[in-house]
Amino acid sequence: MKPLDPRLLRHARAARGYVVLTAVFGVLTAALVVAQALLIAAVLAPAIQGDLTTLGAAGTSVGLLVLVVALRSAASWAQERFAVRAAARTIAELRESVVAHAVRLGPRRLAGGEGADVATLTTRGLDALEPYFVRYLPQLLLAVTVTPATLLVVLGLDWVSAAVIAGTIPLVPIFMILVGQMTAGTSERRLVVVQQLGNQVLDLLTGLPTLRAYGRERGPRARVRALGDANRRATMGTLRIAFLSGMVLELLTTLAVALVAVGIGLRLVHGDGITLEAGLAVLILAPEVYLPLRQVGAQFHASTDGLAAADRAFAVLDEPVPPRGTTPAPDLRGAIIRFDGLTVRAGDRATDAPAGLDAQVTCDGRVVALVGPSGSGKSTTALTMLGLLPADAGAVTVTGAGSDGPVDVSDLEPESWWRQITWLPQRPLVGPGTILDIARGATDASDDDVAEAACATGLDAVVRDLPDGWTSAVGRAGAGLSVGQRQRLALTAALLDRSTPLVVLDEPTAHLDARGEEGVLAALATLREQGRTVVVIAHRTAVVALADDVVHVSAKAHA
Amino acid sequence: MTSLRAQIAADPLVRIAPLLEVRKLRVAVAVAWGFLALGSAVGLAAVAAWLIARASQMPPVLELSVATVAVRTFGIGRGVARYLERLASHDVALRGMTSLRARLYENLAEGPGVALAQVRRGDLLARVGTDVDDVGDVVVRAVIPAGVAACVSLLAVGIVGVFLPSAGVILLLCLLLAGGLAPWLSARAAAITEERSSTARAEMAARTVELLENAGPAQVDGSLEPRMRGLARTDRDLTAAADEGARTAAVAAALQTIAVGLAVVGALALGIPAVAAGTLAPVELAVVVLTPLAAFEGVGLLPAAAVQVRRSRKAASRLLELLDETEEARPSESRSVTEATDSTDSTDEGVRTTALVAGWDGHPVVTADLTLAPGRTVGLVGPSGVGKSTLLATLAGLIPPVDGTVGVDGLDLAGRHPEVLMVAEDGHVFATTILENLRVARGDVTEADAHAVLDRVGLTEWVDALPRGLDTLLGPDGATVSGGERRRLLIARALLSPARYLLVDEPAEHLDPATADALLRVLVDESHRGDRGIVVATHRLTGLEQADEVIALRADPTGPAYVAARGTQAAVAASNADYAWALAQESAR
Repeated sequence: MKPLDPRLLRHARAARGYVVLTAVFGVLTAALVVAQALLIAAVLAPAIQGDLTTLGAAGTSVGLLVLVVALRSAASWAQERFAVRAAARTIAELRESVVAHAVRLGPRRLAGGEGADVATLTTRGLDALEPYFVRYLPQLLLAVTVTPATLLVVLGLDWVSAAVIAGTIPLVPIFMILVGQMTAGTSERRLVVVQQLGNQVLDLLTGLPTLRAYGRERGPRARVRALGDANRRATMGTLRIAFLSGMVLELLTTLAVALVAVGIGLRLVHGDGITLEAGLAVLILAPEVYLPLRQVGAQFHASTDGLAAADRAFAVLDEPVPPRGTTPAPDLRGAIIRFDGLTVRAGDRATDAPAGLDAQVTCDGRVVALVGPSGSGKSTTALTMLGLLPADAGAVTVTGAGSDGPVDVSDLEPESWWRQITWLPQRPLVGPGTILDIARGATDASDDDVAEAACATGLDAVVRDLPDGWTSAVGRAGAGLSVGQRQRLALTAALLDRSTPLVVLDEPTAHLDARGEEGVLAALATLREQGRTVVVIAHRTAVVALADDVVHVSAKAHA
Repeated sequence: MTSLRAQIAADPLVRIAPLLEVRKLRVAVAVAWGFLALGSAVGLAAVAAWLIARASQMPPVLELSVATVAVRTFGIGRGVARYLERLASHDVALRGMTSLRARLYENLAEGPGVALAQVRRGDLLARVGTDVDDVGDVVVRAVIPAGVAACVSLLAVGIVGVFLPSAGVILLLCLLLAGGLAPWLSARAAAITEERSSTARAEMAARTVELLENAGPAQVDGSLEPRMRGLARTDRDLTAAADEGARTAAVAAALQTIAVGLAVVGALALGIPAVAAGTLAPVELAVVVLTPLAAFEGVGLLPAAAVQVRRSRKAASRLLELLDETEEARPSESRSVTEATDSTDSTDEGVRTTALVAGWDGHPVVTADLTLAPGRTVGLVGPSGVGKSTLLATLAGLIPPVDGTVGVDGLDLAGRHPEVLMVAEDGHVFATTILENLRVARGDVTEADAHAVLDRVGLTEWVDALPRGLDTLLGPDGATVSGGERRRLLIARALLSPARYLLVDEPAEHLDPATADALLRVLVDESHRGDRGIVVATHRLTGLEQADEVIALRADPTGPAYVAARGTQAAVAASNADYAWALAQESAR
């Protein structure tokens, strides 16, 4: 991992400006550090030698020193101020790009653990970039400005000290790399052990309600302590090695400063070509040469978390998005959607679901039920038809009434295709807004229309039970409503918005009791009366009984 | 004064400290190593300053030999002592975290089930992990650095003060500025950012998760663009909040820099006249002016330490909340001490309730009475949210009844009874092998037992397809197990338990109808073939035709849910039109 990932600058505009600004501050700081050392030495040396008896005699130098201190403080102020802002902006920029990109990657990428990973990364993980920006990056830039600048000044003052410092600086990375290589394998292995032990303790804690239910909660008590102790020993093993590089860094840098000081002292006592003023200036400057290097080492940990988070973000961003189709979708009214040997591999299982599905949906105002056991690929079939998931074999094509030939749905221009479809997944996306606003959507349905549709879907019963009735607020992602209630709300909205000739319903009865199911059946009938085609994934017999066509979907395990 | 003491005693970090079981000596050792490390830096600066100043006066070389040795020693000592300090402080922290984790586990395990039942969502318990880490971090990042900074500051003030007391005072003031005011401002900045951003942060997380979870639907219904714009707006609010906090944090950073400069300028301003007046030797002036340059490294860590204290305090108060819940709930357990009734003859066998009102925190949710005799199955039906799970948890003794009593085999129930097992819908699948997961029910489950029970719940095919059979490791919280497999695994585990009465919550969820019916029949069989009593709470009615009794619950908007009908399924269907209709809908095939 590079300390300053060029991809970070490419993907985040805020990061570019910040790096430039920090570099400017780095140059400024370098100049001020040098000025401060020279001024202190210039005042102190004559005072020690008895050439300066009043403060007034050194008035200019002391005044300049005060000015330098003020400027350095101002620089720290500004650096901190802009660092925090740049970090917040960069995190926001990355978050938005990752979310936008992940959405375009499609539902399969987001299904299962990976979606949760992206969510954790974007809501919390990227925050690790703040210490990277605020603490690490400035020190990194100081290491390339202050370190060489102070070293050059030391060279001008006393080449022997400069030689000592210049001799040790390369040793710092060399030793750190050596220690790093020596310990890399061990610490990685141990880190895995530490993580496993930590997870086991967490697993016991999370499973405590279950253990209690079985009356087995006392057994693992000793185990929690034992795991903790094992964890501590393993962690200490890692740290003993991990801290070695820090020790080498501190040892080299402090010892070098000590050697410079002793060297200056011995040459001064022999009157050997160095003045007290130069000696004092070098003594003040020597630690400053190393300070950024030491800080980079100290903040290294802060940087790794941030860079790792950024790395994961880039991994998502660098994933190629499936090309978007460009063929405008034909008018769905009267069109025919065909499934020809449609086969989609099911995630990590060695199974095709659906496997070789052949079926046809004629969009002339009928209800088509997709049936099959759990895991047979009914929802996957719907996703493929919507163009959200590519087929692994076979195809879904659509032939418009009076158009020249079938078009693969993956070649369709998505917006033109989606504009004609209403899709209610198992957990429909509703809100935020009031129930009335969500039900009405962009339509100009009258209150009577809304009431009529709500009556058909059973939403009216839901509204009756809510304290604020129709004006009840629904939160983000439908918060405040149960899944069943969300389904009724989404179904009502689908009834009212007649602009889509095709309605796809995924298990609209899953979370409903028999009364709720009746509402769904009524809604299906109404949709059909409106002349719209309904593709419904169903478990319940009543839904299947109402359907005009039934398509059996089945999975097939790989041989 | 007392109020201050009370305030300190009430601080979550102070309250949680005993649970860390930290040995003071270990902390002292860590602080001592840290003092040696940073003290070496201060010593190096002071002695080197003296050495160079003295050398310029060209004394005999021998006079400098002690100083040259001291400078070199300090040069080596610093790195080594720092290494040992880091090891010592991490060891203290890790020991503390281990104790805290164990004590938390013990407290939660020993306390009555209420706290756990209320913390039903696993993620709350999962957060305990990070909270413990955050509390432990306070040792490494705040307590020990603060101790080291105080000691080193005193050392530096001492060195300067010995030669020129007034300069010592200036240094002390500057150190207080950098080590007191600056950290306070940093903590303040963190508080400001957090306060301003908490709403925006929650909104950002909600919007992000909503978009990621509904990527498909949002694209299809065309709401992706406006939703992305909404996320960008929330992000701008977050940036503004961070900027607000940065204003104060930047002042803290500037103070740190200014303090060092002031100390040096002050030493010069006081030292030069003192040299002229003859109260300070010229060589000592070098020490007085240059020592402060190295004295601020310790206090430089304190702003970060102050922020860490804030974070750790929050984590501590969350953990204490969890512990307090357990403590508070304890007396209610002793209230209904188990008392033997006069007779324990066979007529008392079974779970029997009297005037039972079940609910949370004293709020009635459902009122229902039932008798569960061994060898019988009772079906508990009703819409989601009617209170089936609450009733089961009360029967299992996991939550105390709001009113009335639950008796098991003739004894009043107090807390969990070993013969009553609730199989919760969100039961935990442990990150271990399938066999070990089954052994949670009973330690002596053999492989043959395991295969037999997995066969009954229809998981044989699944296990056989797994590469390592019963020894297959399941992911954390059963991540590698599908919803349907998970449900069946939980039922298999329950069947293996020695408990006589099983209370099973929604066994049919996430299963297709055929599998759901089969599983329900397994449960009914289990009760009929032996002397087990089973309550099945479900919103699916098919499969209950064999149940000995069906209890239909109905919600009441004005009060707790109540029993609308009871009897065999046929009897309930005959007397309750709603039920009959629902059953017909389900079984029409």
